[in-house]
Amino acid sequence: MALLEISGLKTYFKTQEGTLKAVDGIDFNLEKGQAMGLAGESGCGKTTAALSIMKLLPANGYIAGGSINFMGQDMSQVTGDRLRAIRWRDISIIFQGAMNALNPVKRVGDQITEPILLHEKVEEEVAVKRVKELFELVGINPNRIREYPHEFSGGMRQRVMIAMALACKPKLVICDEPTTALDVMIQAQILQLLKNLQQELELAMIIISHDLSVLAETCELLSIMYAGKIVERSSAVEVFSNPQHPYTKGLIAAFPNIKGDRKMPASIAGNPPNLIHAPKGCRFADRCYAAQDLCKVEEPPLVEVLPGHFAACHFIKEKG
Amino acid sequence: MAKDIIQVEDLQVWFPVRRGFIESLTSKEQRYVKAVDGVSFNIKEQEIFCLVGESGCGKTTTGKAILRLVEPTGGTVRYAGVGLTPKLIKQAATDAVSKKGLNKDEAEKNVSLGAVDVRKLKKDLMKLLRQKMQIIFQDPYESLNPKQSIYDIVAEPLVVNNLGASEADREKRVQKALDDAGLRPPKDFMWRYPHEVSGGQRQRVGIAGALVLEPAFLVADEPVSMLDVSIRSEILKLMLDLREKKGLTYLFITHDLSVAYVFSDRIGIMYLGKIVELGPTEEVIKSPRHPYTKALISVVPKPDPRMKTEKIILKGERPDPAHIPPGCRFHPRCPYAMDKCKEEEPEPIFVSQEHWVSCWLVGEGKS
Repeated sequence: MALLEISGLKTYFKTQEGTLKAVDGIDFNLEKGQAMGLAGESGCGKTTAALSIMKLLPANGYIAGGSINFMGQDMSQVTGDRLRAIRWRDISIIFQGAMNALNPVKRVGDQITEPILLHEKVEEEVAVKRVKELFELVGINPNRIREYPHEFSGGMRQRVMIAMALACKPKLVICDEPTTALDVMIQAQILQLLKNLQQELELAMIIISHDLSVLAETCELLSIMYAGKIVERSSAVEVFSNPQHPYTKGLIAAFPNIKGDRKMPASIAGNPPNLIHAPKGCRFADRCYAAQDLCKVEEPPLVEVLPGHFAACHFIKEKG
Repeated sequence: MAKDIIQVEDLQVWFPVRRGFIESLTSKEQRYVKAVDGVSFNIKEQEIFCLVGESGCGKTTTGKAILRLVEPTGGTVRYAGVGLTPKLIKQAATDAVSKKGLNKDEAEKNVSLGAVDVRKLKKDLMKLLRQKMQIIFQDPYESLNPKQSIYDIVAEPLVVNNLGASEADREKRVQKALDDAGLRPPKDFMWRYPHEVSGGQRQRVGIAGALVLEPAFLVADEPVSMLDVSIRSEILKLMLDLREKKGLTYLFITHDLSVAYVFSDRIGIMYLGKIVELGPTEEVIKSPRHPYTKALISVVPKPDPRMKTEKIILKGERPDPAHIPPGCRFHPRCPYAMDKCKEEEPEPIFVSQEHWVSCWLVGEGKS
């Protein structure tokens, strides 16, 4: 059985204008030690999907359907103490914007020992020792545990966040835009660190990013989200070498490639649809170069077009 | 060959470090954060010159210092008045004269000169000149006032500069700017507020705000870094179109080498307040000579998992510009640093006609 099985997950938000269907029926599985990238434009629901797994949704958000099966329990039903026991011990998250995710008035060491002391019945010294080990693991001098967040640079703060996420030896780590606010050089350092840790500790990882090239370098599996749905899902190599969905093709073409020819990348005209009044039919139809009448009326299902390669488009031949 | 529209020579922007009472008593030397520490380059007419570097390397400060949005502490910035139509100079000069009681001859002489020294300009003339030198800011989510309508945002430069004969004339100019920035039809956008439009459209509003004064030179400070990848190239293409149509010249500031690669004509790589390598884009990216440039290029993520290239990941982070290392400022992070690098600062060496690099390795034929 997979570590994480998500099927038909729907996460909606109540707003004044109506119900916003941020995530509208997504499925994927994740095995132990696998890293999956979740890519898409801003507002496509990728962060909401991740927050649903940890049940960290804001007050007006709720899981409207589907199941999140994590190690045999349905997370959408788990509440209270049982939920608290799972959070951080089994699933942890590296939040977007490392600059602001740390508490500025607490020493970084104390911020990391806190979850250890909460989840495990250990002496404080044991926890502090663990934090020092974690610091070493992520490449920070262990003597810095008594410093405050402002004494760290952006890249170092991101390392602190990673150490914190690993504090209770979780099985699944969700990274929400782990390098977005960082410089290219620091980005390369952090991505390498994440990749090494993932392999060393056999972590399952979900990396959320709008930057396909970041995911190309770190993930084994790749899911492309558009307007609350997964439109394509396969191994990263397969998605890049043989993209099926027009949106995926557009996204890949939108990246300038420093190793390739010097030409302006293509763009995808238009904007994603409003998810309060989601269009009937394929949600990408308005922006799609291949859209036909059928696309405006009928929603394409996610089907296996090649072994292990799923895409949701009317104009892709099914396998076989 | 096109003439230079901007010439920057040995530009310096130093910020004094505030000292405590005791420290000032013990009369330690005043320290400076040397954000820009001797930068020289020129930008030709209708060229896109790109400054690339990590955050804190001084690229934004350089851009702002050229427009005197921060005051340079040393060096020269010359602007050759391309794009200033005689009518506009006259109009603006008369306005300034009547408003501020400025010497008319002086106003006209200075502005109509082939080149003016931006740093030596008086405030009023700087204001005139700034109509021709505009900036597009990085973050379209924070650079637009949420309480102003798009019309008010785009019309503000006209109000500030006292341009436009009447409200109707201003409205016409705003409409034209919005149209040029690709917000069509402009009437649909004019009375909306920033939160009612998408991120890409917000950046277009920012561009319209810069275009409304009909500038000749634009500083574009990371104009696409906050936007989704799928719409980035739309904005870049718009900027290219504007160059064609309006003969604009750009200083493009970015940390993203792959964007610089597809968009710019020449690139300057900045490290800690200095340009370390400068040359035509293709040449710098395909045959970089400075170890820092090589490292930067190697770590750009490739949008293809099949492409495995060796990465030169530099250890540590850039040093503090208040404590610039002696010798070559890159030596503490340089994988090839030699003894000489720790003592002497390398001078620019030309490796081809337009491509120079400041590195001892190149001087000694080792790179």
